[in-house]
Amino acid sequence: MGNKVNEIKRIVQDTKSLPTLPGIVLKISKLAEDDKSSVNEIARLISSDHILSAKVLKLVNSPFYGFSGRVSTISNALILLGVNVIRSLALSSSIFEIMEKSVVGLWEHSFGAAVAANTIAKILQLPDAEEISTAALLHDIGKAIIKIKLEEDYNQLISIIKEKDISMIDAEHEFLGTGHPEIGEWIARTWFLPEKLIEPIACHHNVKKSVIHKTKTAAVHLADILVKASDFGFSGDDIVPRIQTEAWDKLDLNEKILEEIVQETEDRLIEAKNFSLEIQTSGEKQS
Amino acid sequence: MKNNLRIALISKDCELSSQLSIHIESKGHQVIVFNNESLVLGYIYSDPSDIIIINFQFSETNFHGLISEIKKDCYFGTIPIIGLIDENTHNNIEWKDCPIDDFITLPFKYNELFSRISLAKNRIQRIFDNNPLTKLPGNTSIQKAIENTIGAPMSVCYLDINNFKPYNDTFGFTRGDEVIRMTARIISNAVRQTGDGGFAGHIGGDDFVFIVKNESAEFVCKTIINNFNIIASDLFEEEVKHKGFYIAKDRQGNENKIYLLTLAIAVVPMNTPQINHYGKVAEIAAELKKYAKKFTESKYVINRRKR
Ligand SMILES: [Fe+2]
Ligand SMILES: [Fe+2]
Repeated sequence: MGNKVNEIKRIVQDTKSLPTLPGIVLKISKLAEDDKSSVNEIARLISSDHILSAKVLKLVNSPFYGFSGRVSTISNALILLGVNVIRSLALSSSIFEIMEKSVVGLWEHSFGAAVAANTIAKILQLPDAEEISTAALLHDIGKAIIKIKLEEDYNQLISIIKEKDISMIDAEHEFLGTGHPEIGEWIARTWFLPEKLIEPIACHHNVKKSVIHKTKTAAVHLADILVKASDFGFSGDDIVPRIQTEAWDKLDLNEKILEEIVQETEDRLIEAKNFSLEIQTSGEKQS
Repeated sequence: MKNNLRIALISKDCELSSQLSIHIESKGHQVIVFNNESLVLGYIYSDPSDIIIINFQFSETNFHGLISEIKKDCYFGTIPIIGLIDENTHNNIEWKDCPIDDFITLPFKYNELFSRISLAKNRIQRIFDNNPLTKLPGNTSIQKAIENTIGAPMSVCYLDINNFKPYNDTFGFTRGDEVIRMTARIISNAVRQTGDGGFAGHIGGDDFVFIVKNESAEFVCKTIINNFNIIASDLFEEEVKHKGFYIAKDRQGNENKIYLLTLAIAVVPMNTPQINHYGKVAEIAAELKKYAKKFTESKYVINRRKR
């Protein structure tokens, strides 16, 4: 087991970039250059994609720029890097040759979680709404690493999940000796992402563990559960976990406000579904 | 020459690439080979190399987009680019549109290539007076840029950060340096986004200069102020942001109310008879800035006097 964990750590350390969906990259390449409206559109497209967002945040927080790992939102990254740099970065991203169901499913799950988190932050009037959405977008980045860098293990995990009817995280612990929150934390640290994003990634299945950014972690935890409950996207299993007491308490939830959040999230996920279909079809036309 | 250079090599010719790689690696450097230009920028941006070598042979593009994209960015523009060119290509290259730093004719001797690499690196250090913190051009370049715009329909804009010194003293110079770097990026991105040239330079400390066309000046000032406010507000705790100030002790130990970071920009259009030499620009700007600094929020002030 120890060896496996070390192997994963090594793979994470060597991971410089990850492929993304062709549809997003294609859409960005179609936007006219240097047009004011296209700047916002580029930001919106990048904010829908967990891989591209991670890539942009990795760049802006790299020691090369000297911002000491402080930048935690795509809009701030856009201001600091400039639209030209962000556009080139997106356009030179490697893309998936085949649009596998699990890849699209994880992309949708991540995007859906960001939508849900944004709704939660708005309704509960939490500070740093954009950071909460970004953290939710990246919360399962560890799963992307497993899927892309440890393909065989990923397939093994999926069969274990089906066979034993357990959650992805339980299967990971059983089979890999570690879980996607830890793997996500390692990649986030390797890429110098800010602590505000690392903690929700590392603790979204165990809110108790979070120390400094508990509200953000609780919001991401809830967002993850809400997308799963809405059956939006696919994150590896179909089990909807319970909302942890720490999250209830930290967010000061009650039945009524939760209902409002669920309703609003459902509505916004319909729009999200349309966007997702658009991305998928434009990616297919490409090939 | 610094050992262990990281060299990006862009070449269609795989045989040449592998030969070159062996020679370069034998000198203790590292090579990253690209067969086409599409992935280069993303790579350079995420993990900049020390040198870029481009093989123009067998290539249908002139790498114009790639080269100008790199050279226009003040951070990446200081990476030397060396072209590999064969006898036939010489006449086809429009050097005005191809701002590379040096070239070497194929077939070449490896010793010559290494000398060229070394020369290009040193030459860049000689001609650029870039500020080491922000990589923006420094005072010699600024003076030259201002002198070149006297009489032109361009605006020279002087910018500084209000309340920067107490911020630096209270939160430490590391945080202060960060603010300076961020400001530099905000300015150069806003200038660059106008799409018609312009200039951004760093005088030193929290003082910057940028030059844009008269008609873009207000828009650029607004963009810079807007973006600076977004970035600067993230530097303070929620509570401080809300109050709009913090309490800091000065060197005598007195407690002072310090307002958050804001910008003051003095905009001097250069096409008025009043402005006839470099010194005059700074003089007018200093006056305007005094006025801009009377406000607690960010302000830009444009010189309207004609004489
Ligand atoms: Fe998860
Ligand atoms: Fe999840």
